[in-house]
This record gives sequence, C-alpha cells and structure tokens, in this order.
Amino acid sequence: MRAFATNSKKVATELIEINENLLEFNKYVTEYYKQLAETWNEAQKKVNLKAPEVPHDVEQIDAFKRIWIDIFDNDFTELFDSKKFGENYGKLVSKELDLTKHWNNITNVILQSANLPSKEEIDEVYKELHSLKKRITKIEIELKKKRDVNKNEK
Amino acid sequence: MKSETAIDPKIMEEIIRFNKNVFNAPKLVSAPDEIILEVTPHDVVQEIDKTRLLHYRPLTDKQHKTPLLISYALINRYHILDLQPEKSWVRNLLQQGFDIYMLDWGAPTAMDKYLDFDDYINGYLDSAVEHIKNESSVEKISLQGYCTGATLATAYTTLHPESVKNYIATAPVIDGWRDTTVISNLSKNMDVDKMVKTIGNMPPEFMYYCFSVLKPFEQGIEKYVKFFKNIDNKQFVDNFLRVEKWLSDTPPIPGELFKQWIKDIYQENLLIQNKMYVNNNHIDLKKIDMPIFTQVAVGDHLVSPECSMPLHYAVGSEDKTLRMYPTGHVGMIASSLSQKKVLPELGKWLLERS
Repeated sequence: MRAFATNSKKVATELIEINENLLEFNKYVTEYYKQLAETWNEAQKKVNLKAPEVPHDVEQIDAFKRIWIDIFDNDFTELFDSKKFGENYGKLVSKELDLTKHWNNITNVILQSANLPSKEEIDEVYKELHSLKKRITKIEIELKKKRDVNKNEK
Repeated sequence: MKSETAIDPKIMEEIIRFNKNVFNAPKLVSAPDEIILEVTPHDVVQEIDKTRLLHYRPLTDKQHKTPLLISYALINRYHILDLQPEKSWVRNLLQQGFDIYMLDWGAPTAMDKYLDFDDYINGYLDSAVEHIKNESSVEKISLQGYCTGATLATAYTTLHPESVKNYIATAPVIDGWRDTTVISNLSKNMDVDKMVKTIGNMPPEFMYYCFSVLKPFEQGIEKYVKFFKNIDNKQFVDNFLRVEKWLSDTPPIPGELFKQWIKDIYQENLLIQNKMYVNNNHIDLKKIDMPIFTQVAVGDHLVSPECSMPLHYAVGSEDKTLRMYPTGHVGMIASSLSQKKVLPELGKWLLERS
C-alpha cells in the first residue's frame, strides 16, 4: 500500500510537470504554425501579383500551377533555411522531448511496480552488450593476428 | 448573355479524366509488398550483426582485377543504386567489367543504440574490406561512398589508406558549416544529447519530416498529380512505385552514431578542420593520398555542393578529379544522366587505375 501511495505521488508529479511543459510546448507550436501561415500568405500574394487573371484553359491552368508551386517552394524553403525557423523548431522539439521524458518516467513507475526493469535498466544491458561485443571483436582480431604469425613462422 | 467566366470544356474533360484515374488507381498499381527492389542477382557473402555484404554476380566474361566496395548512405536503403535495370548504378558498373560489392547497413533496433562511428568505420566497413581483400586475393580495393556513406568511407580511408587503392566520393557530407540545406539548418539547432537520451535511435519519422520540408509543394503535390495523370503508363507507374517504396524504407539511425554525426559534422564541423577523432584515432584528410574522384550534383538539395567540394581540396592526393553534374542528389546515381554521363566517366577513371 505504501508503494502504491509513493507511485501515485510520482505519477501525479509527472502529470503536473507535463501540464507545465505543455504550456511552453504550445507557445512554440503556435509560433511554428504562425511562421507557416505568414509564409503561405506572403507566397499567395506573390502568386496573385504574378498571375492576376483567372485561368480559362488547360494550358493556363498548367502555367498557373507551375507559378504557384515555384513561388510556394521558394518561399517555404527560404523559411525552413532561416535562423528564426531553425531556432523555434529546435525549441519545439526540445519541449516535445521533455514531454516524452515525463511519459517515460510514468512508464518506469508502472514497470517497476510490476517488478519489471525500467527503460534505463534495459539501456544498461544494451550498453553492456555493446561493450562486450567490442571486447570480443578485439580479442578475435588479436587471436587471428597471433595465428597468422604462428602460421608464417611454421 | 455570354458569361465572361465560362469554363473551357477541356478543363472539365481534364478534371473528369483525372478523377477517373484516381478511382482506377487501386486496380492498376501493385501493392508495396509485390514490388521487389533487389534487381541484380547477388550473394550475401558476410553478415555481421544487422549488416550484410553483398557480392554481385558478374555480367561480363572478364573482370577488372581491383574490386569495388560501395558504402551506401545511412538514410534509406542501398536499393536506389539498383532500383531498375535501365537506371541501375550497380548493373552499369558490372557491364563495364567491375567486380562490385555493396555494404547493406541493415535496420538497427533499440539494442543497437550504442553503435557509433567506431563500430561503423573500424568494425563493419573494415570487416567488409578485409573480407573482399581475402576473397579477391588483392592487397587494396577501390572504395566508393555515397552521401553519408561517403563520410564514413572518407574517415575509413584516412585510417586505413593501406587498404584503399582508389577512392570515389559521391555527394559526400564533409563541410557541415558550408551546407546550405534545410537539413543542416535543423541539425544546427538540435539538442542532440537530449534527443538520443530520451528516444534512443533516431526514428524514421524524423527523417520523413526532414524530407517533407525539401521542396514540399513539388514533392507533396506535383509529384502525385503526375502519377495520377500517367496511371495508364505501366513503366512510369512501376518506376514511381519503386522510388516511393525506396523512400518509405528508412531504417532508424543508431542513437550514438547520430549524436556524433550531428555534433562532429554539422554543429562543430570537425571533419573538414582535421579535428575529428574516432575512438581516439585522428581523422586527418591529408592521409588520403591515393587517387580520388569526387562527384558533386549542382542541384543537390540534400547535400549542397559547397558541403561536398571541400574534400577535393583537403586531401593529400596528387591524382584527384572533381566532377560536377547538372542534376540532383538522386539524379546523380539513378537517372538517364547517370547512365549516359556519370557512370561512363567514373568507369573510365576507375579502369585507368584498376
């Protein structure tokens, strides 16, 4: 029962922190869509200036489509290449990772309450496996070298 | 009274035809599982962890002595180099009499998250080179790296120059600070430590996002409009589906490798400054002193030419060639231009040195 109370408290704390993170996440996601919307509007204005007439035949539609795609691709590529987009996107991803971290923490509480290894504990196993594989490969190479030397000596 | 905004009947015809094509599409196109991407016959001659070394069967009676190993990129799979017979990079080189090997990096899983540069360069790549040397009874091989595979191959060549007779760098990612692509901009603003610690391997979804912001309207709209307009053209549809299947098959990138990649190449730009280390081994580009052929695509929007070209000037080789082609990142390796221009030039260069 004590573990249940402790675990509940841990989960509740994580949920409170998730809410705090969500506020900041929303700030960056709003900025992300604002940048997209502004770029869309500017690109559409450029299209309107370049192709003011409503297309009447198939050729005109194709030409209009080409202008539309070129202008939109150029303007959006300029946005995605810009410092303001890169910085905001970096912060947005960072906040998303914070949310994922809280979710992982909640999952770990549940896993441990069921006597199962946490994500960190599984990671330790992966790390140990990786290190062991490296050591074995190194030993195998050294053994092969020794065998080759012995072969040459014979 | 005649309306000034009357719609041309041809427009209506076009709309009706397009809609008809959309409805007919499921009957005319193959399911993704029915499309087999491996075209040219080959044997798997070595398997280590998830990686496989493929040896293509010869298409000529006589072959040039020095075998060529291709180190494909870490993003997507190697199939693009052999996607369809008439545009296959591998088949073309086989037809020119070269002995071709390909290193398939495989699809890492969660337990591979600690694989790093050292594992890929001094582990998988070195094992493949040693295997080929033994199998072909040669002391040196020719090595080709494509995109991020060229970054690994470049680092390998500096550490093991005694095993590489000729080096071909195709759209290599070398100078991260000069890269003007969207990918570079996103990478520079990424908290990669936090990312890898939280999610482990770099998931394919993140790569799909990066691809989706490259020419989003041409790739997201025009490409599919063309597809539905050409739904009756079997060859067009087949090629389109093969490329789409290849695009959607992106394996995750091991977390540790991804972290080193973003930091060393894009954020700190250590490789071109000769400041990069792999497991305490210094990556000095001046140690590349064998013949080197650098291939760059002028219209490359994944690895900009400014990012690739510095390799040509940084290496210690006296015999070095730089070629620029009027195409894009994929166009350089899987197009009519690659068959007519890029591969014949590469074959001639390689033949003179094999």
